[in-house]
Amino acid sequence: MNCYLCEGVLDLKPSWRDLFFMDREETVCLNCSATFEKLIQGCKICSASGPGICEECTHWETTEFRGTIDYGQCLYVYNDAMKDYFHQFKFLQDVVLAEVFAEELVKAVRKTKAAAVPIPMNPVKLRERTFAQVDSILEAGGADYVHLLQKNEEVQGEKNKGERISTRGLFTLNGNSVPKNIVLVDDMYTTGTTLRLAAKILKEAGAETVAFVALIRA
Amino acid sequence: MKEIQDFLVGRIWLRDFTPFPEEAIEKAINQGFIAVQKGITEKLECARCLENSSEKIIPYNCAKCERICYYCRHCIRMGRVSSCTDLITWKEPLELSPYSHSFSWNGELTNLQQQASDELDESLRRNRSHLVYAVCGAGKTELLFPPLHKALSEGKRICIAAPRTDVVLELSPRLKAAFPDTVMHTLYGGAIFEEGFAQLVVATTHQLYRFQQAFDLVIVDEADAYPYSYDLALARAVTKSLKENAPIVYVSATPSKEMLKTAVNQSKIFRRFHGHPLPVPEYRSLWNYRKSFNTNKIPEKLKDWVKLRLEKNEPFMLFFPTIEMIRQAEPLFKLIDSRIEAVHSKDEDRKEKVMKLRRGEIPGVLTSSILERGVTIANVQVGIVGADEAVFEAAALIQMAGRAGRSSAFPNGEVIFFHNGISRQMDDARNLIKFYNQEGQR
Repeated sequence: MNCYLCEGVLDLKPSWRDLFFMDREETVCLNCSATFEKLIQGCKICSASGPGICEECTHWETTEFRGTIDYGQCLYVYNDAMKDYFHQFKFLQDVVLAEVFAEELVKAVRKTKAAAVPIPMNPVKLRERTFAQVDSILEAGGADYVHLLQKNEEVQGEKNKGERISTRGLFTLNGNSVPKNIVLVDDMYTTGTTLRLAAKILKEAGAETVAFVALIRA
Repeated sequence: MKEIQDFLVGRIWLRDFTPFPEEAIEKAINQGFIAVQKGITEKLECARCLENSSEKIIPYNCAKCERICYYCRHCIRMGRVSSCTDLITWKEPLELSPYSHSFSWNGELTNLQQQASDELDESLRRNRSHLVYAVCGAGKTELLFPPLHKALSEGKRICIAAPRTDVVLELSPRLKAAFPDTVMHTLYGGAIFEEGFAQLVVATTHQLYRFQQAFDLVIVDEADAYPYSYDLALARAVTKSLKENAPIVYVSATPSKEMLKTAVNQSKIFRRFHGHPLPVPEYRSLWNYRKSFNTNKIPEKLKDWVKLRLEKNEPFMLFFPTIEMIRQAEPLFKLIDSRIEAVHSKDEDRKEKVMKLRRGEIPGVLTSSILERGVTIANVQVGIVGADEAVFEAAALIQMAGRAGRSSAFPNGEVIFFHNGISRQMDDARNLIKFYNQEGQR
């Protein structure tokens, strides 16, 4: 078995847990995993560093999106190593890389004890990419999830920040019944617009709490 | 259509990533010029790089096809090949009519070079594969020129493959200068697109994945170098890129035992072009160097050696076994002289730093084995820290030692194996160098 990222031979440190459970499946070597930088819980909503709720999220609370997200967590900093990982996963379409952070992401999702709802891709984009990265990560981590939303034809990445924040009607409900407690799951939190648009619709449809987990805080 | 043919002849390419409009490709398919095949075959083999291990051919739930598809991880950096992507090839081979290519190299070969060149020529005349086994600094590239000129003039399509981009970039201008009117393409990851049909291709070995029955001759330079010896897929890529029964020429200063055994036709040059012997490595103990670096100290003997180089104004290359150790050592050496630079495979400024060393703008570099070959710096002195470490095989040690004394103005140079105990590989390397010198002076 070789490291998914550097192709070096995986040099696993033996542990007692392995001996008893045989449940650990490392996919990247220690050198590579050391290059990723974890976020230490900062802002209660978006994990930005600092105490309390960050400036951006405080501002959101003055808009029509007030209270749409109850709490959230981003796991990693978008540093060079994460950029490389993300590029290989999403743009080179290296599907197996879903396994790299699956365990951690699923652990964070399960902690919320809410129903996992991935942020969907629009259908055209999905066929082009051939896989939905968020769904793949959840599947690799063995988590159940349900799709409640569908995304219209606009593509987020091609817009500037101002345009993104003014985006409306990005999502519509897909008709599945909406559970009381929901955790939205996405790969990247940038401005937070996408997640809030999704959360707003779900709250309007009867959800009582909406949390989110994202792999990266950009 | 001509442009598409020029581009595609001998290539195997992702249909969705050609430099031509999709309609033009479709037209050529409908007219029967282009053949289309699935990226991953029924037998779960990648049609581009011929990888077939289950660790690299990965099943996934494909949203495009709504079923299980497979993709190849091995060559994914060249654009993903999957069972639902099309690969295209040009059906008809291209026959080149012979004409005399201009040849503007007017150097002279030594007797030994000339002999090897003639032997190679004879092998090519008989369509046989050939190994050129020549020590570092023997002038391997030059002796290829006359047989290359002949083969080009006969209308043969030729590829010179080298293991690393650094080596390709070093070879390319020399070939361009020797064959100024020949259409030549230089291919490596990130190279700019060049138009037209290239009769001569200089490429990293990885690029050969994208060729199929293209060449009448492939010259594999540095044939022993990482990654060939570890990567069977690259060896398959060389074979795949050749036309049927076309020969391969291997060029190496440190061929493996297998290569020496299997190559029937061999030419050997154990003497440098300038006639001086290869510098013989000296052993110098450097006990517990790891511990030293861990406590942020340069071992005294190593410090003395570097200081002497600085005093004498001699450029130096100091090789390290790991990138981590280079990172530890870099700030310590910068305290001695802030101009000392560190170089490794992930360093994007590597080329620039080597140029600076060559021009004398920096006194020396700390480097990984990435600079073990393809680098010529006049009067360079070589130190290998941890020459006893397992990463340094005899071939690598010989290549690193081979950086010293290459120019006829400075045919001598120091090569020091700094060690924490003498390894078998160190002895093998030193004995081989002594053997070359003995044979070369006969």
